[in-house]
Amino acid sequence: MLDALLQAIPLAVVASVPLLLAVQGELVVQRSGIINLGLEGMLLAGAFGAALGGVAGGIAGAVIVALIFGWLVIVLGADQIVTGTAINLLVLGITGFAWRELSVAQPPRLASDLITPFAWIIVPLILAVVLWNTTLGLRLRATGENAEAVRAAGVSTALHRWIALAIEAVLAGLGGAHLALVLSSGFAENMTAGRGYIALAVVIFGRWNVRGALLGSAIFGLAVAFQYALQAANKGVPYHLLLAAPYVVTLLLLFGVAGKVRAPEGLGR
Amino acid sequence: MKQIALAALAAFIAIALLALAAGAFGHSPSAVLAILFEGSVGSSFAVRETIIKSIPLLLTGLCVVIAFRAGVWNIGAEGQFIVGGLAAMLAARYGVAASFLAAAIAGALWASIASLMRLWRGAPEVLTTILLNFIAIHLLGWCVNGPLREASGRYPQTDLAMATLPRLGGVHFGSVLALIAAIVSWWMLYRTTEGLRLRATGFNPAAAKFAGINVAAQIVRAMAYSGALAGLAGGIELLGVTHRLFERFASGYGYAGIAVALLAQLHPIAAIAAALFFGALSSGAGELQRSANISATIATFGQAVVLLAVVAFTSRWRKRDA
Repeated sequence: MLDALLQAIPLAVVASVPLLLAVQGELVVQRSGIINLGLEGMLLAGAFGAALGGVAGGIAGAVIVALIFGWLVIVLGADQIVTGTAINLLVLGITGFAWRELSVAQPPRLASDLITPFAWIIVPLILAVVLWNTTLGLRLRATGENAEAVRAAGVSTALHRWIALAIEAVLAGLGGAHLALVLSSGFAENMTAGRGYIALAVVIFGRWNVRGALLGSAIFGLAVAFQYALQAANKGVPYHLLLAAPYVVTLLLLFGVAGKVRAPEGLGR
Repeated sequence: MKQIALAALAAFIAIALLALAAGAFGHSPSAVLAILFEGSVGSSFAVRETIIKSIPLLLTGLCVVIAFRAGVWNIGAEGQFIVGGLAAMLAARYGVAASFLAAAIAGALWASIASLMRLWRGAPEVLTTILLNFIAIHLLGWCVNGPLREASGRYPQTDLAMATLPRLGGVHFGSVLALIAAIVSWWMLYRTTEGLRLRATGFNPAAAKFAGINVAAQIVRAMAYSGALAGLAGGIELLGVTHRLFERFASGYGYAGIAVALLAQLHPIAAIAAALFFGALSSGAGELQRSANISATIATFGQAVVLLAVVAFTSRWRKRDA
């Protein structure tokens, strides 16, 4: 049993990559003061794009979603939660419909998985430097804390929100591509299965910083991998209740930390 | 007047884009529109189908109307619908009324987990309600594969529920219940002090607090009403349509409720028309899948377009008026 659990660890490192990338992308966006509930749709668009056009296609898919979301939320000032929900329905509907119409062959798996080390090592390093040690990062975070003050200083808040959204789109696109080309062999309807929503909770658990994002994604990845190990060991643990476990864990994480954390001051406004 | 024009325009854009999307993949847009029309209002059978589909949509739509009016983001109608169905199944042996009561209570309690977590721990209900949806889906999966699996054990589904809703002109009695729910919701929101407090809480919580409203308690109650409506929707769907539970029992009615509520501009009576529109879209999409082999998920696409159009127009207007 212990053996099976230990073997689950390397699996967890790879299997949690889409979640980790989504978490880091959402972290940047929320630091700029936007909640992107459409993250689930962005990931799904990434997976769909990747199944058609490889890693670049995945990023393109997520970028299209970011453009729609950004136009509504940043340009028109639309409600973020309703817009995000609509985006998720849009991508779910259109990819499910289009995949059936296209009936293309599933793409080959990636020969070598460079996305995993990129997600766990390079992205966190870049984010730590850019967000906390550059003027761009300072302005981006200030946009999320006090947009009025940033505008008073003559800096465009819209520009910094677009930059944050662009970063998220690239990361979510990569995450979707990893899901379609590394973890699975191609696209399936609704294949993200709620990872985008879980990512939103992990951002809160990680208290809007990179170290917390890594820790939260790791805990989550391990929980899921252990669940598979238990399932394989088949000790009579009911399979469907195990499937609910990740969501219960996330709920408990939120219950445990939510009251103690401070969100970016202007989040959601 | 402006609001009706907006809703009609949003609905029109959704239908137009749907035909265009089908056209982009080589289907004839006019044939697609004809099938949509035929499958939703083209025959008395189709009309009944549309009404039956719009009953759960109206109730989940009202669930979202009440919550959003109080300023609570209940995205959890899907999960509340499922636990409502489960409770109705368990209570069906005591009759239809007991079954519906159980469904409403289960939905209210499931929603209350989220409102209490917001109250005690500041956990955003947007996330907790979504997580509770997934938990409900897997809870249902466990029930129909385990303790509630049919006696013969052949399929992952329950036996037939021990109560059935009477029918009324080819449509089950839930249609009347849903209409009553819409009228009661309107009356509660606009004709009672409870409704006034609820709307004040949603409109401006700080001002509501200043006016002596217990905002926290108001939010908990609003969430319970909201969850009860979605739970009731699940109970009615079970006793009126499916008569059994299975894994895909909810099939998106909860999320579609958000589209119903927004198209209705958060008005309970307008929600009747909005639910009929999406019911028609859904039965039309079912016909598209049967006769033209176009995935019925295209109805989800239509819901999303309506939502996006409503959101875009209202924020444009707000911007222009400001």
